[in-house]
Formats: sequence, C-alpha cells, structure tokens
Amino acid sequence: MVRAALTPKRRIGQGPRTGAQYLPAATVVFASLLSALPIVSTSGWYPDFGYLALLSWRLLRSDPWPPWWAAPLGLVNDLFTGNPIGFSVALWSATMFALDLVDRRTMWRDYWIEWGLAAVLIAIDEWLQWRLAKAAGALVPFTRMLPPLIISICVFPLSAWFASRIDAWRLGR
Amino acid sequence: MATARPGWSRRAQYGLFFSALAVIGGVIIGVILLALSLVAPKTFAEIRGAALDITGPISGALHEVTATTEGVFTGAGNYWDAARQNGDLRRENQAMLRRMIEAKAIALENAQLKATLELREHERTTVATGRIVGSSFNSPRRFAILSVGAAHGVQVGMPVRSPDGLVGRIIDAGQLASRVLLVSDRQNIVPARLLRGGIPVISQGRGDGFVDVRPLEVGRNPFKRGDIIVTSGTGGLYPPLVPVARVIKLDDDGAVAIPLADPANTSFAIVEPPFEPAAGESEAVPAPAGVPEP
Repeated sequence: MVRAALTPKRRIGQGPRTGAQYLPAATVVFASLLSALPIVSTSGWYPDFGYLALLSWRLLRSDPWPPWWAAPLGLVNDLFTGNPIGFSVALWSATMFALDLVDRRTMWRDYWIEWGLAAVLIAIDEWLQWRLAKAAGALVPFTRMLPPLIISICVFPLSAWFASRIDAWRLGR
Repeated sequence: MATARPGWSRRAQYGLFFSALAVIGGVIIGVILLALSLVAPKTFAEIRGAALDITGPISGALHEVTATTEGVFTGAGNYWDAARQNGDLRRENQAMLRRMIEAKAIALENAQLKATLELREHERTTVATGRIVGSSFNSPRRFAILSVGAAHGVQVGMPVRSPDGLVGRIIDAGQLASRVLLVSDRQNIVPARLLRGGIPVISQGRGDGFVDVRPLEVGRNPFKRGDIIVTSGTGGLYPPLVPVARVIKLDDDGAVAIPLADPANTSFAIVEPPFEPAAGESEAVPAPAGVPEP
C-alpha cells in the first residue's frame, strides 16, 4: 500500500491530446447533430442537446472555446435542429456573456449553484422558444413547455458529467 | 473574461475587451438574423435546405438500422400465438372482402352519379414517395424530416400524406430531404369535416402530438368519441377526403383528436401536388403583406 502510494504515477507521455482545444466545440456540434437521430417525437419532450452541451462546458470551465465561437456554434445548431436561423446564435452568445458576468459576481461555485444556473438558463431557452413559436403563429399554452423543461433540467447533470469526463480525457489526466 | 482585470498587461486587458465586444456582436447578429427569418422566412431557404441535405441522409441511414432491429423483434413476436392470430385474421379478411364488394358497388354508383352531374374529377398524382426519418426534438413546433427532396420534385407547400391519413405539408425542401410541418403543429390549420354527417370543422395542431377540432358553426358540440375527421378540400391545398384524425376527448366547444397518420410509425409518406395549384403558391409564401420578397 505504502509502496504503491510512493511510486509516482506515470507522467511521461501524458498530456493534452492533439486537437484538444477544438474538442469541446466539436462535442457541442455533435450534440446538435443528435437531432438527426431517427427518432420521431410527437410530443417534443426531448432536451435541447446542443444548449445542454454548451452550458455543461461553459459551467465546467471559463475557456472551453473563445467566447465568439458561440455564434457559429449556434448557427450550426439552428441549421440542424430547424429552429429559426439566428435564435441559437443570439441565445448562445448572450449565454456566454451572462455567464461571464456571473463568474465575476459569484464568490464560490458548487454543484448546486451550477445546476441552479443551468436550470435558469434552460428555462429562459424554453421560454424564448415558446415566445418564438408564438411570434411565428403557433401559440401553445406555456404549460405544454413544462415537461420538456423539467426533463432538460434533470438531464443536465448527466450532460455535465459527460463534459467533465471528456475534459479529463482531452487534457490527458 | 473570467476576471475583471487580468493584471497589468495591456495586451491581456484589450484581449478581454475585444472578446466581450465580439460576444455582444454575436448577440446582435443573432437577433438580426432571427428578425429576418421571422419576417421573411424564405430568406434562408437555400441554407436550410443545404443543412437538411447533410442531416437527412444520416437520419435515413440510422432509420434503416433501427427499422431492421425493430423488425427482428416484432417479427419474432409475431410467431407467438400464431394459430389464434391466423384465425382472427382469416375472419377479419372475410369481413373485409364483403365490405370491399359493397364499397366497389358504391364507387360504381358514385361514378355514374358524378357522370350525370358532369362533375370534374381531379387527377391524383404522386410527386414522390419517401420515409419519415426524423423530427424536431425540443420545441413547441412539430416538424418531421422526409427522405425525399427537390431532386425528386418536392417543393415547398406540397401536401404530404401516408396510407393512414394526412401527415402535413412541406415547409423546407433540400435536394435530398425536406422538412414537413405536421398536422399536430399549432401553425397547421386544416379545413376538414366530420365523416359522419359532413359537418365542416377546422383542425388545428396542439403542438403535443394531438389536434384540436372545432366546428365552423357555433352551436351544439357535434363531436362524439371515435369520430373520424377528413379533409374537406376547402382552400385548395389539401386534397379532399383524406383522413386526418380520430376524436378521443370532447371539450367545451370542440374536441381533441389524435392524427390517424402517426409520424412515428408511418412506413412511407406520399408527397402530392397542391390540390389546386394556385392555392399551393399562395400557401408557399407565408410572408406578411408589405414585405417585399427577395
């Protein structure tokens, strides 16, 4: 036991993988691409995978990608998920900005604060989608948005766990 | 941007400042794009079509895999209790045969009556036949991805149906895939009528897989549980007498119905030309008045 603890962990040959700096953005694009899965949802209760991935990475680290990348990533999400073009561009950029402001204000961070932040942002996302559907002539009662909202909030820890595992892997830890 | 002031380095301070500006620029660009796509939805038709061409084939290929897997399991399940099923099916088949002969006689009579009235019959043509391979996941809107596109002759505004009933209409068309506005979307209003009695009704999606049906004339609620709603052909976009939905629940002035063509289980979907072409054209341009088309 003592001997095992004394032997240093092998550090040689370990380090960031090639392309590690692009991996977070790539996982967000991949999450957006999940909407190409051959699942036909008649209720629309699936989470917004792209936004969950973006939030997970941004809450895990402050520098997963340069902040302005949020705009092109949002454009990709809009194109793949069929949202009106520009919705995710604006929302994702605004999210990056808002979380930078939050980073300055918060004294400490723990799981609960991150989950709460994510819940608030996901709720804003769902509300905006609802407003947008209303503007496009498809007004539904807001109560119909509650099940997907609750499901998204419950799925967030899973998405955050994936992000942290991928982060550890890409940095070779 | 994690801290307000990263240190005394001017370079680092400017870097933070400009990245903040870039993010704000991203928000502004996003809002402008969003406003454009709400006011003039056809602006981004090409780029949306191109994105569909990327994801459509992926969904199609994955759909094949899941369909095969499901087929293996349901196929195995069909052997369970096969003898009784066989008997049931045979009885059903006999009953259907009798009904079919009756229906043929009625169709013949109908044709004769129409001939005496000299009604013009519309030719039903099929533009393309595809499969529904995907859908919108998280949205109050209900879209589906269809595996045929402009290369097969599909155009925006064409109605889509399946053997079971009406599916919706095309709103985005790429070369290889297209996006369908399902009848369960709130924006999709289908002029329809009750099969029993022919009372004119309006069907509007609820956004959760069901449709609301309302009678056109205010008065007594004409619906009963199990009623079938069919298209009326009014408006000229959807062909008449396509089954739309079955009533499952009554409410104060109408009813909730479930679409007969379940997009999740539709084996193939048929794209048809608009019933009266002029209607298709006006339907394909949903931009509000006063907005010049590009």
